[in-house]
Amino acid sequence: MQLNLPRETARRERDYGARVAAVLTFGLLAWPAAAHTGSASGGFAGGFAHPLFGVDHMVAMVAVGLWGAFLGAPAIWLLPVVFPLVMAAGGALAILGLPLPGVEIGIALSAVVLGMMVALAAHPPLWIAAILVGAFAVFHGHAHGSELPPGADVVAFSIGFVLATGLLHLTGIALGMVARWPAGRFAVRAAGGAIALTGVAFLRGME
Amino acid sequence: MSAFLAGLLTPLTTPAHALALVAFGLCAGRQRATSWSVGAFFAGLSCGLAAIGLAVRPLFALDVLLGCTLVNGGIAALAWRLPAVLALLLGASTGLALGLDSPPQAISLAAARMTLIGTAAAVISALVLVVLAAGLLRRTGAAIAIRVLGSWCAASAMLVLAVRFSRGLPY
Repeated sequence: MQLNLPRETARRERDYGARVAAVLTFGLLAWPAAAHTGSASGGFAGGFAHPLFGVDHMVAMVAVGLWGAFLGAPAIWLLPVVFPLVMAAGGALAILGLPLPGVEIGIALSAVVLGMMVALAAHPPLWIAAILVGAFAVFHGHAHGSELPPGADVVAFSIGFVLATGLLHLTGIALGMVARWPAGRFAVRAAGGAIALTGVAFLRGME
Repeated sequence: MSAFLAGLLTPLTTPAHALALVAFGLCAGRQRATSWSVGAFFAGLSCGLAAIGLAVRPLFALDVLLGCTLVNGGIAALAWRLPAVLALLLGASTGLALGLDSPPQAISLAAARMTLIGTAAAVISALVLVVLAAGLLRRTGAAIAIRVLGSWCAASAMLVLAVRFSRGLPY
């Protein structure tokens, strides 16, 4: 079937597809770290693999990227800028021994809520989205901070950990960018629903 | 391995130094007078390395360096432009801390000097590359990448500082 698109439109479509591919490529750089199986030891590889060991963490990170892609500019990039900082603050709380009640529930809820936001294609004001994501980021960070392996090469571990988290966000953004097309929009919303169900499963598993 | 080569590799293979260079490069590339900011960094670095050469080594250098990394990364993430004085001060502090945290592992004085020279060469080269890369990202409309990378640098530094404080500072 010949589309007969004007040349300029076709070029823009190709450029958009190339950008999606580039973001996805960089985002999927996170996945090879899964080859480093086993416990999360110290060092860069251990830090990089750490966010990938928890499905609840992973789906929430991807959901942040998906939702950001749905919300569009500036949220699409604001969330990946703010999330690591707030997450690190949560991690610092845990490292310094400050307790945070209901961390695991908060993490499971983050998958439910963020997945629902994507599934429903919710477009709240930016400040509400930022507060919601920020609140969940604290829970995730606190959990990761509690799991920091003793004797780890802290700097390398932290760099690997933050990098993997950021790349998961980029993966979510890249996947969310296919929402530009009708079929892609449906697929992304379905993915959000799946993420929400995953969160529900984790919540039920805690009962 | 020659002393010069050892010094050349040190800032590139020390995660805290590499992180600091990236964070400062991203921040400096955003300031009004990038060259002055970088110049202040080099001045601080020279003073730090000279102090090391005189066997001065404050134990808190790494913590100051991580603090500077946190600030530099945060400023890059927020895309702030500092007043010139603050930018110079931040550059000088970062360079000084980096220099003071680069003690050479050498047996002889001559080898130590060559190591310090190698360290300075590596730091200068790496920083110029980062600043140029940041400029390229801005010119090609990918300035958001600078903010994202700055955020990552600040987040990493925050975690490391928390760990160091929780484990008790060695001084």
